[in-house]
Amino acid sequence: MPSRIHPAIVVPLAFLAVVIGVLVAGGLWVQSTVASSFGDAESIGTARFLVEDVLRRQLDEETGIRGYAVARRATLLQPYFEALAALPATLGRATGALEKLRLPTAAATLEDAAGTNRRWLQEVAFPLLTSRSSRPGLQFRGKRLVDRVRTDIASIETSLAARDAGGRLRAQQAIAWVDLFAIGAISAFLFAALIFAFQQYRLGLRIEEERIKAEEQRRRSAENRAAYLAEKRIADTLQRAFAQNVLPEPAMLRLGATYLPATEETKIGGDWYDALELPGDRVLLAIGDVTGHGIEAAVTMNRTRQLLISCALIDPSPGPVLERVNNELMRTDSPFVTAIAALVDARDCEFAYSAAGHPPAVLLEPGKRARFLEVGSLPLGVLRNAVYQTHRVRSTPGALLVLYTDGAVEHSHDVVQGEELLLAAVESAAHASQSDVAAAICNRIFADRKAADDVAILTLRFADSQTMMMVGAGRKAGLA
Amino acid sequence: MNEGAIQTIRLAGELDLSRKRELRDAFALSNDARAVLLDLSEVVYADSTALTELLRFCASAQGANIPIAILIVAPQFLRLVQYAGLATAFKIFQERGEALHYLSECAGT
Repeated sequence: MPSRIHPAIVVPLAFLAVVIGVLVAGGLWVQSTVASSFGDAESIGTARFLVEDVLRRQLDEETGIRGYAVARRATLLQPYFEALAALPATLGRATGALEKLRLPTAAATLEDAAGTNRRWLQEVAFPLLTSRSSRPGLQFRGKRLVDRVRTDIASIETSLAARDAGGRLRAQQAIAWVDLFAIGAISAFLFAALIFAFQQYRLGLRIEEERIKAEEQRRRSAENRAAYLAEKRIADTLQRAFAQNVLPEPAMLRLGATYLPATEETKIGGDWYDALELPGDRVLLAIGDVTGHGIEAAVTMNRTRQLLISCALIDPSPGPVLERVNNELMRTDSPFVTAIAALVDARDCEFAYSAAGHPPAVLLEPGKRARFLEVGSLPLGVLRNAVYQTHRVRSTPGALLVLYTDGAVEHSHDVVQGEELLLAAVESAAHASQSDVAAAICNRIFADRKAADDVAILTLRFADSQTMMMVGAGRKAGLA
Repeated sequence: MNEGAIQTIRLAGELDLSRKRELRDAFALSNDARAVLLDLSEVVYADSTALTELLRFCASAQGANIPIAILIVAPQFLRLVQYAGLATAFKIFQERGEALHYLSECAGT
């Protein structure tokens, strides 16, 4: 089986992919925002420390100078010299930190503080160092300059604090975004899972449906097969019962028959023939075909046979026999049956027949061409009280009467051509062999073609005049 | 000629088991039909199933006292119809004019 992604799960998968893409992008943005705000906070802390350091150094310088101005002791100048040495570096680092934070105003304010410090050094510190008195006016001026530095530093601290607060806010917002993304992601996953589950459910239903359908089909075809086999077996049995039919062997007549089943095994036809010996050297011949195939045809065939023989035992005249059988069949909704009934008188080479929708019998008399006898009336089972005419034929010793079912002439769709072929087959079979004329006719017709339908052939040959005389003489001797 | 009351049913080709449904549909009497012309002039063959349907229809028309004329031209089909004994129970014609004449006479009487 090819492993292809079912189109039903493409939709949730694509949806999930989009959601994951958005989440990753959002997550990266949040991460960078939070990281930059953390980095900011660190720089702000450094800058604040450095700026305060600047103020502390300024105050150290001032304290040192003020103490020296009052007491004039050199040791008191130590904080002043330390601060004086450290301040330029501290200022430089503080300016760098502010520039890194991109706070130009604060940097300018620091510049101003540095300038103020320089002015304090030149205008206050150096004069006090070199002066012999404490110079209160100068000290006052120094205090004002230091206040200005303090104010500058306070201003820088305020802007650093504002910057810090802004960073925190952004970080908080970013964290809020993270929460939102998380909720969104969970919802999206749930939604995708829901769609996926729904698709899976629908897919499952479809698979189940198809499985049930396939099973149903399998079951039905198995049933059909079983029903077909059962029907075929029954029909075969019925037909076998018919095939075991033993023909009588009356004096002065020679009967023969053959049966060729259709090449297509599905067609179990309803063809049959019968020969019934009656008192007075008479024989009743019957041949017939039930329309349709299968059990119904086989059952109707047997029913018609029994009816025909029963009716013939009451009165064997062919026309009345068929009329009675027809009216019996009309009592039920039976398939149509085509048939010929013929009553043969062996002593006079005479016969009477009646036909019901059946292909005409063939008569071949010595010295003549084979010919069809007159066709008859409607099949049995079509019209109530239909009339079936009895035709009488006076024949000659040695004549051959051939009855058959439609398969013998309807192997092609051109029945006229089929009839010509049958006449030729009858003539050549009659001359070639005396033993089994029916089989010989069948062989000649189906030498190079298949039987599309069942074929039954029943033949009757009158004894030739010599045999007749011998039989007649024997009987007289027997009587005497 | 009073053709309005004549229902014409026309079939052609080979009639066999495969056309059973078509035959069933075709062989249906219309309510106002007073006569039926069964035009089988272009039919060349009919198997036993088709002949059975044909017989059933003709029998039912006859049962309803509706005259029916069957037009047949192809000799091999005519022979099959003769086998089936149709000619003994129903009117078969080889000319359309004769068939219509017969039906109008039936309607006239």
